[in-house]
Amino acid sequence: MSSHEFYLWMSYGATALALAVELGMLAARRARARRLIEEERDLEAQD
Amino acid sequence: MNWFYFASPSTFYRLAGWLAPWFFALAAVLAAIGLYSGFVVATPDAQQGEVYRVIFVHVPAAWMSMFLYFVMAAYSGASLTFNTRLGAMMARALAPTGAMFTFVALWTGAFWGRPTWGTYWAWDARMTSELVLLFLYFGFIALANAFEDPRRGDRACALLALIGLVNLPIIYFSVNWWNTLHQGSSVKLTGTSMHVAMLTGMLLMAFAFWSYSIAAALARVRSIILERERRTRWVRAL
Repeated sequence: MSSHEFYLWMSYGATALALAVELGMLAARRARARRLIEEERDLEAQD
Repeated sequence: MNWFYFASPSTFYRLAGWLAPWFFALAAVLAAIGLYSGFVVATPDAQQGEVYRVIFVHVPAAWMSMFLYFVMAAYSGASLTFNTRLGAMMARALAPTGAMFTFVALWTGAFWGRPTWGTYWAWDARMTSELVLLFLYFGFIALANAFEDPRRGDRACALLALIGLVNLPIIYFSVNWWNTLHQGSSVKLTGTSMHVAMLTGMLLMAFAFWSYSIAAALARVRSIILERERRTRWVRAL
């Protein structure tokens, strides 16, 4: 690997990783919101 | 058109759900064309060789870091002024994406700086003010999660976002106000010093990041709406 390839891989790799992490966090937050709604429904059903 | 119709969380939830996939798709297409333009069409730089291609992520990420902060502050200001729930939710939805692009701008800048300037980091005005922007985003996110009552958190976050707005002109004009390692702007409203192939790749990537940011913010605001409105009838009926 030539020197410029290292800097390009580190830049584009980190960008791709950052985007992947954010997309994962979006999915996790969506799942958490769904879970909270389910908990509310359960509480309502108990009442 | 009655724009206040879309200020209702229930209406905006559905609109965001319809729009987000289109913006994600647009971002993917633009990024694919932008990367092709940047890596295949654009030739190596006469002075920097291949390593200049970091520009195709670095500059668009830096632009988005500032632009998203401005939009976040605008939503915050609107939520303070008009006491709108959706404005505060949108501000919260934009912050993580803005922080991510600020981190990408700093990181890619470091890996561009090492081969061209001989150092990963220097405390020059542009880099330092961009780092301050990252801390402002982190502060906003931390503050948003620090309050039991989200509406109180919204007001605190809005104030922080508006105060932090002063950092944007400092970032933008830092290269003119101080002696820095950074060069001046290559792209201005009056013209550009870049080759058209390089400029095309960079602008396409900028539009890809812009489209991605809209999609990510819309996807996140849907979750925020669900979390906050979970006790309402319309959410339970979903």
